[in-house]
Amino acid sequence: MTTTLANRRRPERAGGPEKGRPARRGGSSSSRPGFVWALPATIFFGLFALVPLVAVAVLSFTSWSGLGDPKFVGLKNWEALFEDPVMLQSLWLSLLFIALGIITQTPLSILLGVWAAGNQKNRAILSAIYFVPLLLSSAAISVLWRALLDPNFGIPGQLSWLFGDGNLLGTQTGAIAVLIFVGMWQFTPFHTLIYQGAARQIPPVLYQAASIDGAGTVRQFFSITLPQLKNSIITSVILMVVGGLTTFETVLILTNGGPGTGTTITAFHMYQEAFRRFDFGTGSAIALVLVVISTAISFAVVRVSGYDKMRSSMEGL
Amino acid sequence: MNNHGWVARTIAGGAALALGLTMAGCSGESGASSRPENELHVAMYGDAGNVVEQKMIDAFNATSEVKIVLDKIPGGEYQSKLQTIMDTPTAPDIFFNWGGGSIKSFVDADLVLPLDDFIKEDPQLKDAFLPSVFETAVIDGKAYGIPMRGTQPVMLFNNSKVLADAGISNPPATWDELLEDVKILKDKGITPIALGAGDRWPTLMWFEYLYDRVAGEGLFQKALEGDTSVWESEESRKALGMLRELVDAGAFGTNFDSVKFTDGGSPALLASGKAGFELMGSWEYSTQQSNDATFAAEVLGYSEFPKIDGGKGNEDNLVGNTNNFYSVHKNTRYPEAARDFLKLMYSDQFVQEQVAIGNLPTTTNTEKFLDKAADPEYAKYQFNLVKEAPSFQLSWDQAYPPEATVTILTAVSQFFSGQIDEDGFIKAMQSL
Repeated sequence: MTTTLANRRRPERAGGPEKGRPARRGGSSSSRPGFVWALPATIFFGLFALVPLVAVAVLSFTSWSGLGDPKFVGLKNWEALFEDPVMLQSLWLSLLFIALGIITQTPLSILLGVWAAGNQKNRAILSAIYFVPLLLSSAAISVLWRALLDPNFGIPGQLSWLFGDGNLLGTQTGAIAVLIFVGMWQFTPFHTLIYQGAARQIPPVLYQAASIDGAGTVRQFFSITLPQLKNSIITSVILMVVGGLTTFETVLILTNGGPGTGTTITAFHMYQEAFRRFDFGTGSAIALVLVVISTAISFAVVRVSGYDKMRSSMEGL
Repeated sequence: MNNHGWVARTIAGGAALALGLTMAGCSGESGASSRPENELHVAMYGDAGNVVEQKMIDAFNATSEVKIVLDKIPGGEYQSKLQTIMDTPTAPDIFFNWGGGSIKSFVDADLVLPLDDFIKEDPQLKDAFLPSVFETAVIDGKAYGIPMRGTQPVMLFNNSKVLADAGISNPPATWDELLEDVKILKDKGITPIALGAGDRWPTLMWFEYLYDRVAGEGLFQKALEGDTSVWESEESRKALGMLRELVDAGAFGTNFDSVKFTDGGSPALLASGKAGFELMGSWEYSTQQSNDATFAAEVLGYSEFPKIDGGKGNEDNLVGNTNNFYSVHKNTRYPEAARDFLKLMYSDQFVQEQVAIGNLPTTTNTEKFLDKAADPEYAKYQFNLVKEAPSFQLSWDQAYPPEATVTILTAVSQFFSGQIDEDGFIKAMQSL
């Protein structure tokens, strides 16, 4: 432990070799790369994440329409935000979208990923077809589904026994269902890819041992595959949570936050306040709320799952 | 600890530096000197009509040292983009707008050049246009916009074949006739009126006409001036009641919230005969024409919005986009070039080009070119409507400043789908 600590600190010291810094070459050094190595990433992160974050934090205390200079208004935006019924509703909607997204996408992408990790006949071709949505932009996907779901000339118009009058986007339930479905269509391939990669890493000896012990396919899946995929599941869920909180294009194009405010999730609400009402102060306040919530959720998931301990699923192998 | 302090200081220092740079960028001089040399940028609402704008710019560039560049911005997000760049060094020199509320906040922020000096030099810049149209871009007595493109009144379009098959000989002249037609079409299993409520602004057109016919143009003007009590008036409630009656009668079917105009859904309903009517701006014609020219020429019918018995508004009043305008940014580097470009907006070439693609400019010389229009009959009908209209109300979402748009559009769509009642609508409008 002490060695690691010393190693980690070492490059930060400005002193140079005479202060006890071992020569860098030699190859025997097991030291980790130092802070300098992280500098490019840190600068980019600072410029494109931290700086805007600070600017947004400042803006959230101002009133600004994009014209002229921002006017400092203290806590006014924040007070209004807590009394805004749309804001509260949008938070619940966002959580609902995340929950439904995880529930629908995770099982499907685990099954598909594990299947795609195998070496069956036709697997490569079917997988390639299945990954097509990954190549399309969200905007294209939304426009596509918008046209496919037209109540008079799209799929609902042909299947009236299933969709009734086809007013899918006219009811809150229908609109949410459409967004969840399109999200599933769009993002499952990505998570499938994660699980495919992870499933390929599972050592075959585990399965060989299990089948000697008489475990069938189902038992193997639940006793070996799933536990081995634990870290990938956590990664995938975190990505879904953060992605879900920032889902925006599909809502903008498919439902426009409607019917009424029925699908106005927090990210869309932020866009609407900032770029349609030109109230950048309120928009910034909502953005900060999003940052706080997504950070908190990510931390919570990492903590609860033990991901922060970085325990390998391959220990003892 | 010291080491960590070094890291923290570096990050903090870097952040401060970057923040400083960003801030400098934001507040950087947006004055004339920082703009490109010999270039004028025109921010333009991007759509099929851009061919004409480009042609006029090419004509201008052929003789001018200062070249004009057309920056097309996708229509739906035009206003958002414009407001985001207006007060930055990348602001356009000339920008497309709808006059009225769409430029009010720019004028208040002192970003728009009053054109009165240009007009003094060249009175044609004002006199060549119909006065009622020119007025839309006059704010506090100063002219801020020169009309371009054309006027776009909202009319009641119909599929004449559907009406004939249902035994309806004429488009409805009165509200009662409209209700009757709705019933006839509904009984035949046809959606009486196509409505792209997914876009929300087509719904708003119904409110604009009902309020104008029932209460007269004064009500909305008062509301715009800040007297929100008018929304509670008896006439306001009457108009809302009539709209509710129309929706409840099944005039728009049941799935209008899932239909859009912009993706071609509601025009297709009308063209395919699945619907009898559609209330839409005059661009319905060019939309249908680009899909099926024969349908536009032979089957597509049009009429004025029906009159309402006992209403205070004149039956010839119009609502819609009175016109589009070009305005000039105050910080432009070449005001003279901008002026010379604006002079093209009343030229014969401009009018001819616009008329040929179905637009209807509102210049005094328009009338003599109407015979060359894509459909002369339609062009003349429209031109006379505008000329004879005692009042031409700019669409509510353009008359109010852009920040009010979300509230208005949400309220009208919620009222149509039954999520809010009369009181809810009144409350929403009073919040503006």
